[in-house]
Amino acid sequence: MGSWAKPFTVAVPDADLELLHKKLELATFPDELQDAGWDYGAPLADIKRLTAYWKDSFDWRKAEKAINELPQFTTDIEVDGFGSLNIHFVHQKSKVENAIPLLFVHGWPGQFLEVRKLLPILTAGSPDHPSFHVVAPSLPGFGFSEAPNKPGFGGFQYAEVVNKLMLSLGYDEYAYQGGDMGHIVGVYATNAYGNRHIKAWHTNMPLYRAPTLFSNPLLFLEMLTTPFNKRMQEQLAPAQRFQTKGRGYFLLQSTKPQTLGYSLADSPVGLLAWIYEKLYESVDNYPFTEDEVLEWISIHWFSRAGPAASPRMYYGLTSGNERELFDGTRWTSTPLGVAFFPGEPARLPKSWVHTIGKVVFQSEHDAGGHFAAFEQPAKLAGDLRKMFGKGGPVYGIVPGKDGYA
Amino acid sequence: MAETTEKPFTLSVPDADIELLHKKLELARFPDELEGAGWDYGAPLADIKRLVAHWKQGFDWRKAEAEINKLPMFTRDIEVEGHGKLNIHYVHQKSEVKDAIPLLFVHGWPGDFLEVRKLLPLLTAKSSDNPSFHVVAISLPGFGFSEAPKKPGFAGRQYAEVLNNLMLSLGYNEYVYQGGDWGHIVGMHTVHHFGHKHIKAWHSNMPLSSRRPTLLTHPLILINTVFATTFDKSAREGIAKTLKFVQKGRGYFMEQATKPQTLGYSLEDSPVGLLAWIYEKLVGWTDSYPWTDDEVLEWISIYWFSRSGPAAAGRIYYEMTRGNSSEIFAGAQWSSVPLGVSYFPGELGRMPKSWSHLLGKLVFESEHDKGGHFAAFEQPEKLAGDLRKMYGKGGPAHGVVPGKNGYD
Repeated sequence: MGSWAKPFTVAVPDADLELLHKKLELATFPDELQDAGWDYGAPLADIKRLTAYWKDSFDWRKAEKAINELPQFTTDIEVDGFGSLNIHFVHQKSKVENAIPLLFVHGWPGQFLEVRKLLPILTAGSPDHPSFHVVAPSLPGFGFSEAPNKPGFGGFQYAEVVNKLMLSLGYDEYAYQGGDMGHIVGVYATNAYGNRHIKAWHTNMPLYRAPTLFSNPLLFLEMLTTPFNKRMQEQLAPAQRFQTKGRGYFLLQSTKPQTLGYSLADSPVGLLAWIYEKLYESVDNYPFTEDEVLEWISIHWFSRAGPAASPRMYYGLTSGNERELFDGTRWTSTPLGVAFFPGEPARLPKSWVHTIGKVVFQSEHDAGGHFAAFEQPAKLAGDLRKMFGKGGPVYGIVPGKDGYA
Repeated sequence: MAETTEKPFTLSVPDADIELLHKKLELARFPDELEGAGWDYGAPLADIKRLVAHWKQGFDWRKAEAEINKLPMFTRDIEVEGHGKLNIHYVHQKSEVKDAIPLLFVHGWPGDFLEVRKLLPLLTAKSSDNPSFHVVAISLPGFGFSEAPKKPGFAGRQYAEVLNNLMLSLGYNEYVYQGGDWGHIVGMHTVHHFGHKHIKAWHSNMPLSSRRPTLLTHPLILINTVFATTFDKSAREGIAKTLKFVQKGRGYFMEQATKPQTLGYSLEDSPVGLLAWIYEKLVGWTDSYPWTDDEVLEWISIYWFSRSGPAAAGRIYYEMTRGNSSEIFAGAQWSSVPLGVSYFPGELGRMPKSWSHLLGKLVFESEHDKGGHFAAFEQPEKLAGDLRKMYGKGGPAHGVVPGKNGYD
């Protein structure tokens, strides 16, 4: 088990801030093709504007101060074969003593702050809805957590870290919420700890394997009708687009993250463009302010392991593109809630959702994208309240912690 | 005769650009690395740190520049339909043999015009035993010291035009062509558009395409393939290598084919990032070539100091695949222009040799036991030897350019 958690304060050294600014002063930009728009990647005007703002206006110390209002800690978590990793996390308890312990796991290029807007909603006490004690770690290699220092850190290792974190806090049984890598880690975590420790889980990125003739013959046959089936085409279109247009970063990070990492570690402009492209493309018209974008990028720039570490997660999960993301996992009976947000690019057709797990709750929203907790915290929190609240499908699933006073 | 826009070209990087590079190198921030990573995750940290240190203190750009300027280099405006005039940079070295064969040499990515350097003395040399060539080595648009296209849509046809128009502007109405990497791919397109009329024969050191034999179209090649893959260990190894490249080595391709602008910000802003991006290929794609740090840094410097900047070159992947939605050979049909190919063991992938017939009218094949993707740079004697055999007296493409058979 881990040692006692220590309180944590983000405190970027002055020297690191100075280096960032020296680099921004020397920033050099490429040109751009006429009328390129977003076709070739992040537009030049956007990146120039954001860089200028970062250089002249963005106040990191102000952002840092606000971040430090969150209750943050670090603790050592032992991982089989990898030694001890010092893990950073937010831990906000509700005033409701029997609130439901909830583990919230971010993805890439996400970070722990994605939980921020959810906290006041989820921890609020009321006779009308359940409350949660929320734990939101920085995954290994992200934010202010240490990164693994040797190869082979895969899905089950990430799952081990987050499960042991919850156990170390005294949460032997808990609920889980995640999107992006948080969903993928959730699949591994429920495979390893489902029902025993994870009593129920929720995802806003419902993704799993495509059906095969043997695993799901009816769904497989439905998939074959896609050329003639407009509904299937519409539902598979985002996956198709991703395959053709959106997979460059995935393939590169799964095979040569070190080569990429030199750019991300050395160039704030390069890192900004690399992540901003994903932020813009993945949200549902979210009106990012410059401050929001730059705070997000800064978490990566100032991260404990450096910005080159987090892309290695793709290599780790796929063994360098030698295996599929979900190889080694299977369907589990841990109760699962699924949220469909219209702007989420990575999603299965609705008819396939039962292949992920034992679906007990589904919701469909009319707004919101990939970063659901950040874009639509009220909707996502609302789903969790319905799922876990009185009359909901998993009410009282964590023994002794039903979320009510 | 229209007035020529040709000007002699002298490479002269402004002092301010060199100073900026050094300022950036001084501020370099490195990632860490996983224990025992080797080359598995990309370029190793120790290599990149060593190269950056040498770049800061040791690598003499002005000396390299002076050497490059010994090559006969020029620029001239070339018109490309729909894209206006592009100012194109090229090496043009004539042989003293008056009737030498005009040869256009085309590099790829992350290559550059300097890949022709070691070939020049071999190809232009006068000898009664070998044919001689007048050599033209272009910097592709967006590479080296050529202008880049300004608008989208510069693809197969456009590359073919710029290459062919360059040769025509030099008075070479009929010529031969040599290329690897994009040089091979745009070669397929250029031969498709201007073969026979202008290109009389061509040679590739990367004989690949997406064509494959089917029972209906190429029954003999298909049968040969089945035998080759069953009984020929070398053919099986070649295919295995190709599959490995597809699985492990195509991240850069996918990124440049879909988001070259996003990637470009890193390459433009970080010399360390650019160094790693290209160095990984220089080592990974060569056949144990004993790179010196100076060779590597000169190579990277061509990209860093390029006229259009290092981000522009990667756009060829996007344009030639239309943002990864079409394949690179689309539009280039099989041509009966005589084709020669050389097989180098370190090339990225190898298909069964019989598939070379799918690329064009195969008249010459040569297999080597050493050398990789950058054949002209790694094994200039072997590559020049192949061209000499192909075009020499008794060779299958001898005299293919009327009046210019390579001998006095």
